[in-house]
Amino acid sequence: MDEVFKALADPTRRELLDRLFERDGQTLSALEEPLSMTRFGVMKHLKVLAEAHLVTTRKQGREKLHFLNPVPIQLVHERWVSKYARPWAETLTGLKRELED
Amino acid sequence: MQRHDAGVVLAPGDTTAVFEIYIKTTPERLWEAITDPKLRAKYTFGVETHSDWTPGSSYTSGVPGVIDIAAGENIEVDPPHRLVQSMNALWSDEARAEGTSVVTWEIVPVGDSCRLTVTHDQLRPDGNGEIYGGWPMILSGLKTLLETGESLTTPGSLRFAGAAA
Repeated sequence: MDEVFKALADPTRRELLDRLFERDGQTLSALEEPLSMTRFGVMKHLKVLAEAHLVTTRKQGREKLHFLNPVPIQLVHERWVSKYARPWAETLTGLKRELED
Repeated sequence: MQRHDAGVVLAPGDTTAVFEIYIKTTPERLWEAITDPKLRAKYTFGVETHSDWTPGSSYTSGVPGVIDIAAGENIEVDPPHRLVQSMNALWSDEARAEGTSVVTWEIVPVGDSCRLTVTHDQLRPDGNGEIYGGWPMILSGLKTLLETGESLTTPGSLRFAGAAA
């Protein structure tokens, strides 16, 4: 989990995630375009994101596409939010059953 | 990078979502958790998935008598490594309108753990995100189940649990 927080503790990396959230599956060229940063700089940031498993890649023909992997953030959510969410979940489940009966 | 050597190569213009998780378990236990209806229901909101898991066989997901969730074909079945399934979502008219997509499960052992990648592709461009929006919760529930033996209790995770009783 350290790697996730390290990866998220940088505005450029958060911006890269924002852009993949908006449109998933982008090439390095597409990602570096709006950033005032060298290709090498963007690659370094993508590497940190990949090491935290927040970004994964897939080949499409000759191109390498980058995808946002939201699962590590879900795990952060489960770790600290689930305790507060439990009574809600039980209430909702109970309510649903009641309505259906 | 060597660890991104997953077998899925995307077709041009394909709309895809990729979900990856590391789970401390064996490929065999992970495969069982994906294909056993009772285990599967524990992290898929109470929904059971039934199939004989042979290549070309069909599968159905749902809560009998309550709701149909999905149906499709098991295109490739290679236990405990790879499962490719067509998917027709059935839970609402909007979901049905999205047509057929493809879900690929890939299990790669890494040290004492497994990397599970779910690639959901052949999605309708600008389609309804609901079709693949459940994967983060499903995969985190699968991790919790295999690593702790417990089920998740976050909102929605119990949605259909007990509904078939």
